[in-house]
Amino acid sequence: MTSAPASVRHVAESAPPVRTRPDARSVPHWRNVVWLIPALAVLAVFVYWPLLQNLVFSFLKWNIYSGAQTFVGGQNYMELATDPIFRKALLNNVWYAAISIVFQVFGALLLAAIIESVKSERLRKAFRSIYFIPSAISLTVAGLLFYFIYQPQTGMLDTFLTNLGLGQYAQAWLGHENTAIFAIVAMSQWQGFGYSVLLFSVALQRIPLELYEAAAIDGIGPIRRFLSISMPLVREMTSLMMIVTISGAFQVFNEVMVMTSGGPNNSSQVLGTWLYHAGFITNDFGYAAAIGVAIFVITLILAALQLWVSHRKRVEW
Amino acid sequence: MVTLFSVGRALRGALVWIILAALAVVVLYPLVWMFLNGFKTNAELFGNPFALPTHFGWENFAAAWQQGVGSFVLTSVSLTVLATLITEAISAWAAYGLTRIQIPMNRAFTVLILAGLMLAPTVALVPLVKMFQSLGLYNTFLGLLILYTAFRIPFTVFLIRAYMLDLPREVDEAASIDGASKTATFWRIILPMSKPIIITTIVLNVLTNWNEYLFAMVFTSGTGLQTLPVGLADLMSKNGTQYPLVFAGMVMAALPMVILFFVCQRYFIRGLAGGVGK
Amino acid sequence: MRKTKMISVSAAVAAAALLLTGCTSSSNSAVSADVAGKPDYSGSISILTAFAGKPMDPYFQNLIAAYKAEHPGVSINLSQETDDNAVKDKEKVLIASQSLPDIYFSYAGNWGQNFAENGLAADLSSAIAPSTSWGQTFGAGALNAFKYDGKYYGVPLYNDAKFMGYNKAIFQKLGLAVPSSFDALISDCSAIKAAGYTPIAFGNKDGWPGLHYLQQLFAYNVPRATIDADLIPKTATWTDPGYITAMKQFTELVTKCTGDGSNSNGVTYTTAQQQQQSGKAAMYYQELIEFDSVNTDGSQLNKDGLGIFPLPAPANAAGDAKTLEAAPEGYMINSKSKNAALALDFMKFATSTKNASVLSSPPYGQPSAVIGAVTTSTSSAAVAAGSDAVNKAPSTLVWLDTASVPSVGDAWVSASEGLVSGDLTPDAALKAVQAASEKAK
Repeated sequence: MTSAPASVRHVAESAPPVRTRPDARSVPHWRNVVWLIPALAVLAVFVYWPLLQNLVFSFLKWNIYSGAQTFVGGQNYMELATDPIFRKALLNNVWYAAISIVFQVFGALLLAAIIESVKSERLRKAFRSIYFIPSAISLTVAGLLFYFIYQPQTGMLDTFLTNLGLGQYAQAWLGHENTAIFAIVAMSQWQGFGYSVLLFSVALQRIPLELYEAAAIDGIGPIRRFLSISMPLVREMTSLMMIVTISGAFQVFNEVMVMTSGGPNNSSQVLGTWLYHAGFITNDFGYAAAIGVAIFVITLILAALQLWVSHRKRVEW
Repeated sequence: MVTLFSVGRALRGALVWIILAALAVVVLYPLVWMFLNGFKTNAELFGNPFALPTHFGWENFAAAWQQGVGSFVLTSVSLTVLATLITEAISAWAAYGLTRIQIPMNRAFTVLILAGLMLAPTVALVPLVKMFQSLGLYNTFLGLLILYTAFRIPFTVFLIRAYMLDLPREVDEAASIDGASKTATFWRIILPMSKPIIITTIVLNVLTNWNEYLFAMVFTSGTGLQTLPVGLADLMSKNGTQYPLVFAGMVMAALPMVILFFVCQRYFIRGLAGGVGK
Repeated sequence: MRKTKMISVSAAVAAAALLLTGCTSSSNSAVSADVAGKPDYSGSISILTAFAGKPMDPYFQNLIAAYKAEHPGVSINLSQETDDNAVKDKEKVLIASQSLPDIYFSYAGNWGQNFAENGLAADLSSAIAPSTSWGQTFGAGALNAFKYDGKYYGVPLYNDAKFMGYNKAIFQKLGLAVPSSFDALISDCSAIKAAGYTPIAFGNKDGWPGLHYLQQLFAYNVPRATIDADLIPKTATWTDPGYITAMKQFTELVTKCTGDGSNSNGVTYTTAQQQQQSGKAAMYYQELIEFDSVNTDGSQLNKDGLGIFPLPAPANAAGDAKTLEAAPEGYMINSKSKNAALALDFMKFATSTKNASVLSSPPYGQPSAVIGAVTTSTSSAAVAAGSDAVNKAPSTLVWLDTASVPSVGDAWVSASEGLVSGDLTPDAALKAVQAASEKAK
């Protein structure tokens, strides 16, 4: 870790010597919990209580028209275990996470490093800004835009393919079961990579140039410099981006809803849209709640894993 | 040997340029296309999708504005700004309480707050529908505001807490010796020192709230309270045969954030540079 | 240890409390709003319509303005969605949060039945039964579409049916007559394709356009009694071979007659409308209520002339070649409405002869269910012809996605998407529907 900013060091150094009188703050006191109360209150009422309720609802059959609820035990979970679309949705989320990690974590890091190698400061800024624009426009805008791009025959992508003589690959990217979800994931990468590049650029810039220069003098090539210096030293940022990317991948809703609503034939469903579908299209709130519990368990496991992994690695330099 | 080396270097340089330029095209071309489409008529768009518009009239933009794009943007902006600010405040207080002050059962509280870290909001959807309807918060600005604020707290606390853990203890002690209260220490010392992480979390939360779709769709059933994502999707369905109008709406929806980014760029980056990744 | 025990105990208590509250907050009492009372002209009501977008948008707005002119004290809150998945999604959310407005749009079939059976719609029999004076202004078929368990729950606003709209100029140019059988239609397609036009415009992104083809073909290929039984999960079997035949005919049409073929799932129905309107497509299978919105003044279609014919039945069909896929669309009154009588009064106003004529004429072109509102002088030629065909049809069949319970309807939507893209065979599709129907028993 770098030491604290200069201003703080100044304060610390110019302060009078610490006396040994017990500091009120060093004794745990219930009064201090007041700092936590807003967070706890909001979370308790609007996050944890609904979570608990969701668990209860998952054991019910619930008619959304009449509001009548009947206890059905584990029936919803049995249905969940045998639901092929739930498995497909989960798989789609996994694909989302995997592809996003490749492009928005490692790809972005690589790209950030490549940008850093450009000599002109202005050009570096220009590239970073250009790449960031898709992240700044609303995800819905990007979704709608790509809906038009993916249109069969008249859409941008198919027109390009035809003009390049690759017309046999032209198809309705959002209209076929084996391409729909990947078309959506691709849009998501276009939209998100610029943001990751920006964050990684910032992280890379904090690495002192002397390290690179020393390595260059030792005859270490640029690729090895990247692998041995850049990557380890941006580990914190990489870890953060992994968390953001993976949790984002399992919470996907917007893009899929706007571009395909989970179709065609439920091939592009993700956990979030499948929950919405179960609750609001097939009117089965109990089942939707069960899906919700499944999502919770999955994301909990992932969160625990990530925290454990990120705690183990910390680079001092 | 030397020439091989320099050819290799030149090749690498060229490769770098090709990659960067190609990516720039991939990014910009659809955006420019979207922008130009706002000026076309329906016939032009369907007839020759990639030609330039024949004239640059603003009718589509005016029509889209009339259909409420302005209010969508306004609702989204106010919701995002307010929710993010409140989240930051609550989270910073909580992080401060967990790290810089001694509280009993610190570990329990930490777990309690961070447990929501990876919680997908979709999980709470069904119960929240029932809850909001009985609380009268359904289809209200306040309702959405509460939700956007609440669900970002665990993640924000997680990041700010991690940052505050690393701040030197001497600062707090020095301040208390100088007679500063905990509150004063927070506002005058710790918070300013945490600026980098605050900015990072603000950027993350703004982007998340700006794009939020599920809650906005389910919890605002009337016009006048539509956020941008929902309003745009609505615009698309209501103008299915007038695509240029939809494009015009999309451009107007995209502009505020893009402009904001360019204006605040330097500030963001400088702020981020002090933060995560050290 | 103590801490965790405390947490688990409190969690159990909380869960128990929730369960209790969950149980008690259940079924609504069968309170029916007082529709027979006197309207309170100083009250307020809220309305959800399916008339968003052009050109329908102004209809209810004008209606409300006129009503308010007569009753200045009334306040009316209007909310509109487009008549497709948008209004369906919106209503689901409102249902789930129990915040349906006083007057709300409803499809016939199972869609309306859910409202009626679960106490969300007021029983309007006293006001609109065929024996009443108001009821007599409507066509009998339209009223019966909203009759559930012997009671009348809906105010039919307009009739809707599915027809093949065709471009007269293109047909004339190619010397084609209106096809009289399904096979004739298919063979016409190759001639049209050769001439450079898209034979049938088709966009199946929302899933229901394909569904509409299927339902009409089912009516032709499967005996009516079987279909009726299959639409109710308790009596459903979905085993008639006619379903497979119909699905094969559908895929044949998609392959040979549509411009995008198996790519049609990537195209919206509005794009298909666009193709018809601009004269690029010779035909488009569309609803009666879509005619005037595509056949606008100055459009290529208008210049070329819009004609209609029902989807031709295949020869030797096992079902009924005379059944037309049709259903009215209308409005229900919330049984919990505080101003039910006022709401009813407004609906009476909306279905007056004058307003019915306006609704049936261009630019709206929604043929009113009110008898006599649709004539060749009030409505466009296509609308008048379509409305006439609906009224004369010996029997009608409701849309597949609103006819049966939502999970079965949804299974058919997915099936139509799979059939279009070629990812599902008719057998696999039928199996999926059988499974959904089993679960819904």
